[in-house]
Amino acid sequence: MRAREPGAGALALLLNLPASLVLLLVLAWPVLYAGWLSLHEVSLRQLRTGEMPFTGLANYARLFRDDVFWLALQHTLVFVGISVALEVTIGLAVALVIEDDRVALARVTRVLLLVPWGVPPVVNGLLWSFIFNAQYGYLNRALLALGVLREPVNWLGDPTLAMGAVIVAYVWRTTPFNILLYHAGLRGIPPEYYEAASVDGASGWRGFWHITLPLLRPVIAVSLILRTAFGFMVFDEIFAITQGGPGNATWVAAWYTYRTAFQPPFNVGLGAASAWVLALILALTGLAYARLVGRRLETA
Amino acid sequence: MDKRESSGAWGRRQFIGSAAAAAAMGLAPVSAGAQTGPWAQRPPGTPGPVTFVVWQYGKIYEQIARQFEDDWSVKVNQIIEPNVEPQVAKLSAMYAAGDPVDVSLSPMQYLANYIDQGIAQPIDGLPGVEQYVRDFTPFTRAIAQRDGKTWGLPYFSTVWMFMYNDELLARAGFKDKPFRSYPELVEQARKAKRDGVAKYPILWIGGQGFEQLPGTWFSLTCNRGGVIFDKALVPQLGPGSAARETLRWWQSTFKDELADPSSLNLRFIPAAKAFNAGQHVYLGTLHHYYVSLLNDAAQSPIAGKARVLGHPGDGKTIGYTMLYILPSTTKNREWAWKLMQYLGGRTKDGQYTQANRLATDAMLGSGYQSVMESEGLRKGWSKWGDVPTILGAWSKASTFSEVVPAVSQPWYPRWSELMNVELTGCLQGKLTADQACDNMIAAVAKAKKA
Repeated sequence: MRAREPGAGALALLLNLPASLVLLLVLAWPVLYAGWLSLHEVSLRQLRTGEMPFTGLANYARLFRDDVFWLALQHTLVFVGISVALEVTIGLAVALVIEDDRVALARVTRVLLLVPWGVPPVVNGLLWSFIFNAQYGYLNRALLALGVLREPVNWLGDPTLAMGAVIVAYVWRTTPFNILLYHAGLRGIPPEYYEAASVDGASGWRGFWHITLPLLRPVIAVSLILRTAFGFMVFDEIFAITQGGPGNATWVAAWYTYRTAFQPPFNVGLGAASAWVLALILALTGLAYARLVGRRLETA
Repeated sequence: MDKRESSGAWGRRQFIGSAAAAAAMGLAPVSAGAQTGPWAQRPPGTPGPVTFVVWQYGKIYEQIARQFEDDWSVKVNQIIEPNVEPQVAKLSAMYAAGDPVDVSLSPMQYLANYIDQGIAQPIDGLPGVEQYVRDFTPFTRAIAQRDGKTWGLPYFSTVWMFMYNDELLARAGFKDKPFRSYPELVEQARKAKRDGVAKYPILWIGGQGFEQLPGTWFSLTCNRGGVIFDKALVPQLGPGSAARETLRWWQSTFKDELADPSSLNLRFIPAAKAFNAGQHVYLGTLHHYYVSLLNDAAQSPIAGKARVLGHPGDGKTIGYTMLYILPSTTKNREWAWKLMQYLGGRTKDGQYTQANRLATDAMLGSGYQSVMESEGLRKGWSKWGDVPTILGAWSKASTFSEVVPAVSQPWYPRWSELMNVELTGCLQGKLTADQACDNMIAAVAKAKKA
């Protein structure tokens, strides 16, 4: 007699269980523990002794009173806004170019594009810190040789330029991800659509606007959600290039969390509160994106 | 009263007296009792590996760890981070996790936090500590001793000095006559510029950092009799203060195009390398041992032409000692102490092996009076610079923490970051000295709040 087969729901539950348990262990537990820490007075000494007095929302209150936190948040928004816009624009432009097999070296470019994506973020940061170095950096050297500059520019030492430098380094590493996504999306658009549009006399621009963009919208939406989330969490490039400096100029939310919790005076509770606020902002942003994109897809 | 022996500075009499006392007590590097001192005794038990967490400096740690292993047959677990920030993160993470660390380094500005958080533990009562303490220099005492306890052994010491290119100075018409006052510095720089000897005669250490850009300002302020904070930690940057007037003067060297604008991008080593190009007459102010880089024929086109120069006037400057600490996470205090002595004290043979090696190989100063007075140090240093001039600067130096008492406050690192921005803005001409100092005063409250 054959054993009764499990239903689809039960099977799905069974198959997902191991992964869910692992995720619970390695993701949910630290997140919840950080939430618990954020409600207690915790420094390194208290982590060691285990005596962590409950302080309620005091860490959050302190966080919201801290000008540096708001400044870091403001910097994060600027960073995310500019970097995501650049990633999407450059990513789309490059994807369109390499999609066209008539373009010389398009195939080679497709392969080479993976190089920045494969560079570890910290290595990328170090690499760009050499490029931006005021005295020995390639950027100054190139611009001086071309006559664009008369004197070297202190890219990383000038508060008005440092954030721009970090954004360039970050976008260089992350844009290939968008290019790959958009390239895959473009491959999925049937060429007949463009042929029909061409027969009707539509220009290339109208084809892009009325065929390419609407059909790529789901892919763009996914890339927006992911890139925004990753942008909010930017840390490695900041760590390797500017360490938040000069002064406060490149303090972003993740850097604030790290500095607060893991550098003197080691206020782990406050750092955990900052991490939770950042996570909440991310969740809300993701939710807003998802609803917005979902609505547009329905109306499309 | 002779200003050279004013309070706060390491007076000549004090210097010589302490050295004589140290020598009399048998603490000179090669003393008769060295072989039988506590450093020659094996601590009880056979421990597992002992661990240090430090930031890199050449190959010094590999060498001393090997010697420790050879002497005691105990393995050393070396955790060497590339620089200060990751070392601090590593140490704090290991401490939080309860991982054993036996010896570590403490940046000056973080020691108070390390004590407060229970990371550092006092070394009082361990065998030989009292003898070490008696041999401490004033710089070492200033950092290592607080609240009646001793918190570590010295890594190295240094003082801030000027350096000059004697060939260019001679071409400017001042052969063997380096400046002795600030007006004289300006006069010589103007002449050198006018005569086409140097486009920018002065190269300042102006790159942002904890002790680069600020260190130059602090040493110049100290030299003019000022401080950055008073003992009650109130900033001394108001109108008419020595610090504000020093900054105003410093800014004028850029405005008058006597100072190279690229100074603001240069920390110690890049500045030394830029100076090596032979296009500047003066370099200031930086740790004394960088003259070894200027006079190193293997890497400097001006090797043999670089000279050290004390600060003008009464020669007051700043200096400090960096410290090794004994973390509370050690599993075996006696063996941790043994390892710490190899890094910052005496080895089994009773020698200050590491301190002597740093002096002779890298021109670093020592936190021990007897090493500072030793013939070995003089001989080692004389390869690169004029030893009496350097020791002269040493004898007139105040400790960093005397000029900047707030350095040990938990909020100081944040203030230092904000101060760097104001200093840079001022020297770039974007802010007046008054605006910069006012902003720095306001930044104290911001840093405390953060």
